[in-house]
Amino acid sequence: MNTQIKESGNQVIASFSGRLDTAAAVPTAEAVKPLLEVENKEIILDCSQLEYISSSGLRIFLSIRKEAATHGSKVIVRNINADIRQVFMMTGFISLFDIQ
Amino acid sequence: MDLHSEMILEEYREALPVLEQLKEQVLTMLHEAIGRYGLEVTAVEARVKTEQSLAGKLALKGAKYATLRDITDLVGARIVTYYTDDVDRIASMAEQLFEIDWNNSVDKRRLHQLDSFGYNSLHYICKIPGYNFRFELQLRTTLQHAWAAINHDTGYKTGIEIPKEYLRRINRLAGLLEMADDEFSRIRSEITDYRRRVEQLVKNGKLDDVQLDGDTFRSYIQAKPLDRLNKRIAAINQAEIQEVPLTRYIRVLRALRCNTLGDVSRLIRQYEEDAYRLARHQLGNTDIDIISSAIGLQNICIVCILSTGGGKIGLERLFDALNGHNSQNSELAELTYEQAKSLQL
Repeated sequence: MNTQIKESGNQVIASFSGRLDTAAAVPTAEAVKPLLEVENKEIILDCSQLEYISSSGLRIFLSIRKEAATHGSKVIVRNINADIRQVFMMTGFISLFDIQ
Repeated sequence: MDLHSEMILEEYREALPVLEQLKEQVLTMLHEAIGRYGLEVTAVEARVKTEQSLAGKLALKGAKYATLRDITDLVGARIVTYYTDDVDRIASMAEQLFEIDWNNSVDKRRLHQLDSFGYNSLHYICKIPGYNFRFELQLRTTLQHAWAAINHDTGYKTGIEIPKEYLRRINRLAGLLEMADDEFSRIRSEITDYRRRVEQLVKNGKLDDVQLDGDTFRSYIQAKPLDRLNKRIAAINQAEIQEVPLTRYIRVLRALRCNTLGDVSRLIRQYEEDAYRLARHQLGNTDIDIISSAIGLQNICIVCILSTGGGKIGLERLFDALNGHNSQNSELAELTYEQAKSLQL
């Protein structure tokens, strides 16, 4: 599992690749910490290389969204595969995130 | 400038650090109190009178002031509110917060004759312990503020007296804005009353009397009508439930012909069991232990769409409504349709 963060204009893009399972959750949570401080920007969670997301992964996405809301930022989840989209659907989070 | 005014100006220069300190202290006290009282305002600002402005004042009426301390607006603070009612609420807050010099305070809103309109603000002259200087606190609404600022700009900026015809037009606008301010306050009160009435109807179970809209749905959800279903779904994997807003479902529920909260309530009752079966089928073979509080309603909508012949296209529209149009929603609809079919939903 790999997480890369880069800033581009008014956007901060976090790109995830691999499997965001329980084991990967701790280092990923650490890697996304800078996102929790982002103010008044668009935070893009680019999932084009993300193969799988577990409950722990969902929790990380939720915490990013929660902090973004308090810092005036907006979170957009981009390029999720069909399996991950199904996880968002069957947990009821599909209506919470802006998924593009 | 005469010698007396020069002396007051000199006194002002020496007092500047104290005046700055007073300004900061007043701002801090106002911000803290506004937060504590839970009031919403558009602006809280303060300034120390500039030397140039003071010199202008002294040139006009310097003889009126024996010392610098007689000038009450060396420090000026202003709170701009959304509603006229809030001006009075903040006035009451200021009375608790500061010592008010009632002899010099003025409610300009009450100064107008029955047939005149113009500057509307509440001015309090205040004092706080530890400072020898008083300060002025202006309270006004956003519309009063806009009028005062524009009036100041057109009337004083050039230093040329403007013709009465223009003054009349500016004052007509003050009357118009006064009406708008009153109307905004009235609308706010009526909305608050409406919400209370709806809450009462929801509380009394008279759901068929309540039209479905954003406000009424929020009140209804507060009564936790989906709690039982969500908890049953959570129990499948011992999952935690994350509270999420359900606003996006209002459109979906309307499309499912729910016009009143009574319709929503019947929809929940009718499809609750099948919604649970769908969740059990989807989550039962996973180790997902977190779900959102939208899951129950989402599954109810899915089951309702399928039961009423909406098919895959209906599901795709549902996902489009919940998550924005996306080509993958078709795939998701297909998958959900197959899962539901296997359960004979």
